[in-house]
This record gives sequence, structure tokens and C-alpha cells, in this order.
Amino acid sequence: MKLDKEEIQKIVLGGLLLIGVVYSYFDLLLGPLTKRAETTEIAVNALGPEIVNAKGQIAKTQQLEKDTPNLLLPMRQAEAMIPEGAPVAWFPTRMTEFFKKEGIDRASTRMTGELAEKELPGFRKISWGVDLPKVEFVNFGQAVAALENEEPLLEITALQIDASRDDVEAQHAFLTVNNLVKQ
Amino acid sequence: MALCLNLYHEIHKAKALKRRDPLKISIYGLSALAACFALYYFAQLVRMHSINDRYVKVKAEFDHLEPLSKAAKKREDELTKQTATSAAMVKRIEGRFYWAPLLAELTQVVPRDVQITRLGGEVTGDTLRHCSLTIDGLAAGSDPRRVAEDLRTAIAEKLSPHYKNVTSTFKSLEDGAETVAYNGKQVSTATFAILVQLTFGDDKAAAGRKKK
Repeated sequence: MKLDKEEIQKIVLGGLLLIGVVYSYFDLLLGPLTKRAETTEIAVNALGPEIVNAKGQIAKTQQLEKDTPNLLLPMRQAEAMIPEGAPVAWFPTRMTEFFKKEGIDRASTRMTGELAEKELPGFRKISWGVDLPKVEFVNFGQAVAALENEEPLLEITALQIDASRDDVEAQHAFLTVNNLVKQ
Repeated sequence: MALCLNLYHEIHKAKALKRRDPLKISIYGLSALAACFALYYFAQLVRMHSINDRYVKVKAEFDHLEPLSKAAKKREDELTKQTATSAAMVKRIEGRFYWAPLLAELTQVVPRDVQITRLGGEVTGDTLRHCSLTIDGLAAGSDPRRVAEDLRTAIAEKLSPHYKNVTSTFKSLEDGAETVAYNGKQVSTATFAILVQLTFGDDKAAAGRKKK
């Protein structure tokens, strides 16, 4: 079969139209659509782990909320032991009353320093000097034991007991104590 | 033989040409191809739509969860901080140095022929507590130095089971100038100063080394 010139032209035109249609279809229609679908798919897949993480975080916090009250109990109890107001207004009185209860009538307490507590945010440590001019050693030992048991926020960092030359039954004691108070 | 002439050959030829017109065939082919393409495109559109729906749902869920998660993280940090503070508080309370048991132990080891004239003690350190104790006194007896030495060793022996690194050393030990009445006899005396050192609690650095 011999093709004449007009037919060849039509075949070429048909070929060009085919190329045009295929190109337009893939480049202008299907390509962007596929690209968009892929991008959306990636976004969906990326959100999956984030949702899992978010749910995990919420569940973890809820569990922590359940467990925390027990863990925070010591701190709440400690906070409840600290009276409101300036420590200098209540601590010396508290010491005087404590030692009076233990049979030591005279006790004077003075603040000697103050330190920030790095490990315990919201608290600070105050140093006090407690002077007990007349104590009897055994009674004093019992008072120290009671003080250490009843005041968990207090620590005796130094003590000194001197025998009195005038009164062999009595000693002079001086305690340096650190006490935790609210910031 | 009869002669057969096709007088319509030109018409037939034109019809045949029209039938196999390449442009027409191309247009039919292209139309079929376009129809297939269109079908595939719509199928893809439907797929895209479902992906989009999924995305919208997932995004809405994420948008709902994200602030909750952020708030949960913030709360977790707060709780962790509070828990750490509480744990530090417990550790602080439990790690205190208790003087009363130490005084009780000392009371038990001081014999009748020794008088303690001065007792001073200080505790330092955070986790591993170092305690140093100075005991000044007067020992009486036929051999007062022996009495003081017995006291020194007794203190170390008594405290060793309860504390770590207990050392008990004389800072001074001198014969006393005066004599005292003891058990109805006048006996010589010796003045002494004993330095007792001990540790209590956990060594943070040592614990770290052990973990490694």
C-alpha cells in the first residue's frame, strides 16, 4: 500500500496529537494528582507516630498523676510541718517550748545564717544557734533524741557540752542546727 | 470472454480512502485512549479523595491531641520536678546525722574513773557525712594514762559497728597536777583530749565508680 503525501501528513498530525494528549495527561493531570496523593499519604503516615506519641504522653502523665500523690506525700507532710510566717518569728519560740517540755527551762535561739537549697526548690535552709546554759547530760541526751525524732526538717550540725566548774551536776550546751523552711 | 469494466473505480477508491483515513483512525484511537485516561484519572481522583479524607481525620485527631499532649508534657515535667524534690526531701531527712545514739554510745563507754569536761562535735558533708568529735576530760586512777587509753580504744570499738572509718586519737594526754579522791584514796590524774572521727552515709563518688 502506498501512502500519498496527504496521508503521511495526517499520520504525522495524528502522532503529534497522540504525543500532545499523552504529555498533557501525564504532566498536567495525572502527575500533579499523584504528587498530591503521595504528599498527603506521607503527611498521613507522618502524623501516625505523632498521634501515637501524643497518646502515649497523655497516658504516661495520667499514670504519673495516679502515682504521684504517694510520692509527694513526704513533701506535703514536710510542708505541713512548717508554720506560715517568718522563721525568726516562730522557730526560737518553738525551740524554747520544746526544751521546756523536755525539762530544760532556759534556751535561747538565734539565727546565724541562711543558705539556698539547690536540691530542694521552694525551700531554704536556716542555721540557728541554740544556747542551753544549764543542762544535765542524760536529760540533754534525751532532749536531743526527742528533737531529732520530732523535727525531721531539723538537723544538728554541731554540738558542744561544757562541764561547769561551779555546778558539777550541770553542763552548758550549745547546739548548731539547720532547719528547712519554705522559700 | 466478456470484458468487465468497473466504471465506479474512482468512487470505490474514494470510499476506500475515506475508510482508511489516518486522521480519522487517529482521532478514534485518541478518543479511546482519552477515555481510558479519563477513567484512570477518575479512579485516581477517588483514591485521592479517600486519602484526603483520611488526612483530614488524622489531622483533626492530631490537632485535638497536640495541645493535650503539650499540656501533659508540661504537667509531667512539673510532677517529675515535684517528685524529685520529694525524694530529695526524704533522702535529706533519712540521711541526717543523729547525735542522740552517738551520745548514748559515749555514755556507755565512759567509766567511773573518767570525767568528761568538754565534748564538742561537728558534722560536715552532704551525702557522706564526716563527723569529728573532741572529748576533753580527766582520767583518775593509779595509772591514769592507762585509763585514758582504755577510754580511747573503747570509744573506737564501741562506735565501729555503727559508723564507718572510725578513728580515735589522742590530741593530748598529760599528767594532771592535782590528785583526786577516788574510792576513798587519793589518786593521780591525767588530762586528755581525744579526737574521734567517723563517717556516715553513702559515698556518692564511690557509688558512681561501682556503677561503672
